[in-house]
Parts: sequence; structure tokens; C-alpha cells
Amino acid sequence: MLGHYLPVLIFLLIALVVGIVPLILGSKLGPNRPDSEKLSPYECGFEAFEDARVKFDVRYYLVAILFILFDLEIAFLFPWAVVFDSVGMTGFLAMMVFLAILVVGFIYEWKKGALEWE
Amino acid sequence: MQNALFHWSFAIPEIWVLAMACVVLLVDVFVGERQRDVAYVLSIFTLLAAMALTWSQMGQTGFAFFGQFHLDPFTSIASFFVELLSLLVLSYSRKYLLRRSLYRGEVFVLLLFALLGALILISGANLLILYLGLELLALSQYALVAFQRGNLRATEAGLKYFILGALASALLLYGMSLLYGLTGTLDLHQIAIALVNVGSANYLLMLAVVFLVAGIAFKFGAAPFHMWLPDAYQGAPTPVTLFMSSVPKIAIFALFLRILVDGGYGSIEIWRQLFVALVVVSLVIGNVVAIAQTNLKRMLAYSTVGNMGFLALGIVAGTQNGLASAFFYAVVYAFMATAAFGLIVYLSREGFEAEEISDLRGLVRTRPWAAFLLLIIMFSLAGVPPTIGFYAKLAVFQALIEAHFIWLAVFGVLMAVVGAFYYLRVLKVALFDAPAEDLAYGADDPLAASVLTVNSLALLILGIVPGALVAFCYHALQGVL
Amino acid sequence: MMLTTTILFYVFSAILLVSALLVITARNPVYSALYLVLAFFNAAALFLLLGAEFLGLILILVYVGAVMVLFLFVVMMLDINLERLKEGFLRYLPLGLAIAIVGVLEMVAVFWTAPIGRVPAPGPIPANADNTRALGELLYTHYLYPFEIAAVILLVAIIAAIALTLRRRPDTKSQAVGKQVAVAVRERLRMVDLRGPKP
Repeated sequence: MLGHYLPVLIFLLIALVVGIVPLILGSKLGPNRPDSEKLSPYECGFEAFEDARVKFDVRYYLVAILFILFDLEIAFLFPWAVVFDSVGMTGFLAMMVFLAILVVGFIYEWKKGALEWE
Repeated sequence: MQNALFHWSFAIPEIWVLAMACVVLLVDVFVGERQRDVAYVLSIFTLLAAMALTWSQMGQTGFAFFGQFHLDPFTSIASFFVELLSLLVLSYSRKYLLRRSLYRGEVFVLLLFALLGALILISGANLLILYLGLELLALSQYALVAFQRGNLRATEAGLKYFILGALASALLLYGMSLLYGLTGTLDLHQIAIALVNVGSANYLLMLAVVFLVAGIAFKFGAAPFHMWLPDAYQGAPTPVTLFMSSVPKIAIFALFLRILVDGGYGSIEIWRQLFVALVVVSLVIGNVVAIAQTNLKRMLAYSTVGNMGFLALGIVAGTQNGLASAFFYAVVYAFMATAAFGLIVYLSREGFEAEEISDLRGLVRTRPWAAFLLLIIMFSLAGVPPTIGFYAKLAVFQALIEAHFIWLAVFGVLMAVVGAFYYLRVLKVALFDAPAEDLAYGADDPLAASVLTVNSLALLILGIVPGALVAFCYHALQGVL
Repeated sequence: MMLTTTILFYVFSAILLVSALLVITARNPVYSALYLVLAFFNAAALFLLLGAEFLGLILILVYVGAVMVLFLFVVMMLDINLERLKEGFLRYLPLGLAIAIVGVLEMVAVFWTAPIGRVPAPGPIPANADNTRALGELLYTHYLYPFEIAAVILLVAIIAAIALTLRRRPDTKSQAVGKQVAVAVRERLRMVDLRGPKP
């Protein structure tokens, strides 16, 4: 079964090579004359006023967490689809109840306006 | 599918609470701001009906959901108590929530879900179920504690509670996974069978039990795992504190009972020693540090720590009687705590929490009836006869002496005397100090007032005729060993 | 085949351990989050080596795809002052190290003395075993009860997240497409008689 993943492994190795070799080549072949002035802002530039990172709005968090929750819901749907033929009515009803509970949450967030980006 | 293994009808109270929580959520979101009372009344109705459903199951026993759900006398009786306590919480807090714009559907729904978590814990017969039930209970409570977003102290309390609660869950989960590794099963009854061959000298079992007890002690709020308790109690809106101090205590006792008695009774020699340590530290910290508190909610938090120490005395005894007395103690404590925090809720008004001990100065002049109820509550918490608090302590001490832990019983009695001091100090402030000029208590709230009266008088009346309640609680633990 | 798997196991484990270490030592929290992504990838690879296909892929899908995005959002939301964060580190280091050492020693002692392997190791995985199928067949029948509780926990998480973070902003201006489409002529256009009285 692991044989199925051989292409993935080869892909990873190639990605590793493509990622690392140019870096090594660049540092070995190119001229390398470090100078502290090279790191300072340009003549016409300003010293930084503040950190480049600014606070995000908390709304991004809400979107991300709602995404995770429904992502998890989908994760439960995968094996269900695979075994749909063998779990019978019990499995079907189990998933319907599961979905019903989450649909309640979905209706709630929709009505509350959590999906709106004002 | 063998339907005989299902028995889903055993879980009707749980299913009812779940369905109604969803209904309340949807009704509230559609009916909205205008008709908040609809959600409130529906929640009250849910709890009443759940109590009736649980009551109708009384006496049935059996397993459902492939042995993951255990219906026995303990399940019915403990479920009944947590439903009743949730009902009390809701009836106490209507005015409080209204005055602080917390009267929102989400609060009721989260309370119902926390209750559902407690119900799942109580009936769980599988490590997985116990963990999920605990998380459901805890998750709802974290949200409730931090519900007042603008309030810095509530947010801080919520954060502390969340981080330490997650740590406790992790400890518990680690213990569970070790237990699973040792026995190869998640089912508590099969764990009990497997542990017969393991023997209590096994180091891996010791490690598992240490983690389990640490996690349970954390959730109980027994010292030295109590650091989250005072901050969470003080920072949370008082109705939430009211809930936290009552329902989870019974639910966590159920967690202990399921894991360490139903499943791990074979390891009693290990967990008994750990609980002895918890008892000693909790009794000292709970009763001594409480003396230094000026905030009533904080003082009651330390009182919780001390009372968990008394409860654990029954666990240390470890006999049928000991466990029954511990359960009895948990139930009695939950009702005492409800009354105590209920009084704070009742006395508070907009912008005034009535949570400092000095806020009660001269209560007897301004609110004589409330002062009388305070007298009963404090006497009961201190364990003064003829209140029910006295019988709870008596039962624990009796079981302890039967199990030959004489010195521990003596120590417990000594600490009870120390503890009586700070309860009586509150009474001194309320009964003998001059009332402050500027204090005005909350406007009249007939619902909270009558519930408080019934709750407090019950502490006294049940203390005079304790037979029925004692028999009820002891019946719950019948045949648990 | 066996040898390859063993080598791969050690490679992935080594990267996992190193990246996990870097998660807690990296100076910049964004780097920490990215190292955590690397750690998750390697953990997923280990799951695959064990034959737990579904878990491995779900780990990538849910943790790498969703949870880490949330982590990055939160890291950026907080605007952490790195210097202040480091202040307490050295002060608490001895205590933390002491606790960690005690913990490690305890565990070593336990696993040294305990007879591990009370539960017989599972046999070799049959060639045509389908991990996802096996999981599904148990999850939706035997473990139906915890499965539904999981749904309830997700629901509570939805409610809690919305109740704690959603705030209305009445001051922002936005386009209500529905209202625009539903508008009728009468609401926008008013016919006025301008002829006035005759002179």
C-alpha cells in the first residue's frame, strides 16, 4: 500500500532539491562581500517608524474558526462516503443527525450575521 | 445491526436536552431581541421536562450504545440533581442577567449544553465518552465565564480558566491513554476486568492513576490544583459562578466514580494515597486562606477548595459507605453553594455586585429575611447542626472512621472548626455591624427571592429530617462496588 | 521494503523532532507557526508509514490547512512584543527545566521497570486493508454515540466563537444587493405635477 505513495516521496525529494540547490549555488558561485551599510535603508528611505506587522481585525479570527469547524465536519464525511454501502440505515441516520446538529449551528451563524463582511 | 445493543431510549433525557437546546437557539435567533422571554421560558420548560423524564427512568438499569452508556440508579439520581440545580441557576439569575444585558439566548443555550455535558459524564461507561462529556461541559463553561466581553476581569478569568482547564484535560487524557495502553480497551467494565491481572504494583498503572487523579483534582478544584478557582469564581458573572460551583461538582464526582471506581477500583491502593494528600492540602489551604479574603465570591471559592477536601475524605474511605457519603456530600455542597451564590445574585443590582463581605454590613436591619437565610446558609456551610451541612460532614466522618482512618477524621474535624470561623465572620458583619448608609440592594425580584427562600429553608428542613435525602443518595451508590 | 520504511521512519522522525524543537525556540512567532506546519507534515508521514492513511491525510487537511491558518491569524492579530515576551523566559527557565527533568526521569523509571507489551502487538496489516473503510465501519455504527457528541461539541464551538467575537458595526457602509434588486419604481421615482395653476 505504501507503494502508492512513492510518487509523493519522489516529488518531495525533487522539491527539496529544487528548494535547496539554487540557494547553495547562489551562495557558492556569486560574489560575496558583506557590508553593514548594505543592510541600512537607502539614501532616500526613512528609518522604519514601527513594526511592519499591524494588528488584524478579530473578524479574520471568526472566519478562520468557522472554517475549521466546517472543515472538521467535512473530514467526517469522507469515511462515510467510503463505507456508505456497508453501514446501512444506522450509518445513514447517524450522519443525518450529525449534519442536522451542525445545520442548526449554520442557521445560527447565518442569522446572526457572522458570515457577513460589513 | 443488532438493535438490542442500541437501547437509545435510555438516553431520552440527554436527547431531549440536546433537541431543546437546538430549539432554544433557533427560536432565540428568529424571535430575537423583542421576545427574549420565549427562550427563557423554553429553557425552564426543558429543564422541568428533563427532570420528569429522568424521574420516569428511575429504577431502570442497563447499557445502551454498545456499552458506552450506563443507566443505573446513580445515573438517574445524579442526573436528576444536576437538572434540578440547573433549574435553580436559571431561576435565580433572570433579573441579574436582564440588568447586565446578559439576558441572551446564548447564555441559556450554553447552560443547557453544559448540563448536557454533565449528563453525558454521569452516564458514561467508556473513556472516550467521559472525555467528550467533560469537554462539552468545560467548553460551555469557558464561554460562559468570558461572556461579558467588555469586562476585563471576566475576560481574564475566562482565559485563566480555559488554559488551566485545558491543561487539566490534557493530564486526564494522558492518564486515559496510559490506561488504554495497559488494558487495550476503552470500555470501563473491561478495564476493570483487565486490571485484575495487572495488580496495583504496576508502575505504568501508577503513572496512569497519578495523571487521572491530578486531572480529576484539577476539575474538582482540590488543592494544590485550585489556582484557577478563585479568579474564575470572582471574575465570572455571578450566575455563572453559581452554575460552576454546583453542577460540575456532581458531574466531576461522576467522572471520578466512573473512571476510578467502575473501571479502576483495582487500583484503589494507589489513588487512596493520592486522595489523602489532596485532602490534607485542600483542608488546610481551603480553610486557612479563606480567612484572609475580603471578597465574598473569593471566600466562597476557597470554601469550595475546603469542601472538596471534606468530600475527598469519603473517597479516601473508599468503601461503599464512604463513596455514598462522598456523593451525599457533593449533592449537599452543590445545594449550599447554590444558596450562597444565589443570595449574592439576589442582593446585587445594576453596577453593584454585592460581592464584598463588607457589602453585607447590617443586612439584618435592611433585609432581615435575607439575613436570616444567610444565617442558615452559613451555618450549613460551617456544618452546624441542625442543618444538612452538619449531616454531610457527619456521614463523611463516620465512613472514614469505619474504614479506620481515625487520625484523618480528627484532622478533618479540626479543620472544620477552623473553617467555621470565616463563615461566622460573615454572619458577624451581617448581623452586628452597623448598616452602611450608601448601600442599596437590588430591586425586588420575587422569583429569585422565593427560590432563595425555598433553597435555604430546604437546607434547614432537610437538616431536621435528613432521612429521605440520605437514603436517596445512598441508594444511588448501591451495588457500585 | 522493510529497510526503506525504517530509514524513512527515522528521517521523518528526525525532522519532526528538530522542527518541534524549533517551534519553541524560534524568535519570531510566525516562524514557530511555520515550523509547526513542518512538524505536522512529518507526523502525517509517520501516520502513513504506520498504515493509518486516513489520519495522515486528515492531519494535513485539517491541521495544516485550517488550524495553522488560524494560528497565523492569531499571531498577527496579537501584535506581540517579542522583547517583552522573552523577559520572563530566563527567570522561569531553571524551574521549568527542573520540572521537565523530574517528569522525564519519572517516565524513564516507569518504562524501565514496567513490563511493556501486555497488549499483544497487532499483526501485520493485510495487503488489501482499507484504512478509511475500517474506520468508517466502526465510526458510524459502533461509535455512533461519541460521533454525535462530537457534533454537539462543534456546535458549542460555533456558538461560543460567535458569541465571544462577533460585534456589529453599524457605522460601516455596505451595499445591500438584495435591497437594490428588490427596489420598485415607485420607491425611487415620484411624478410631480409641475404645471401649477394656470396664469
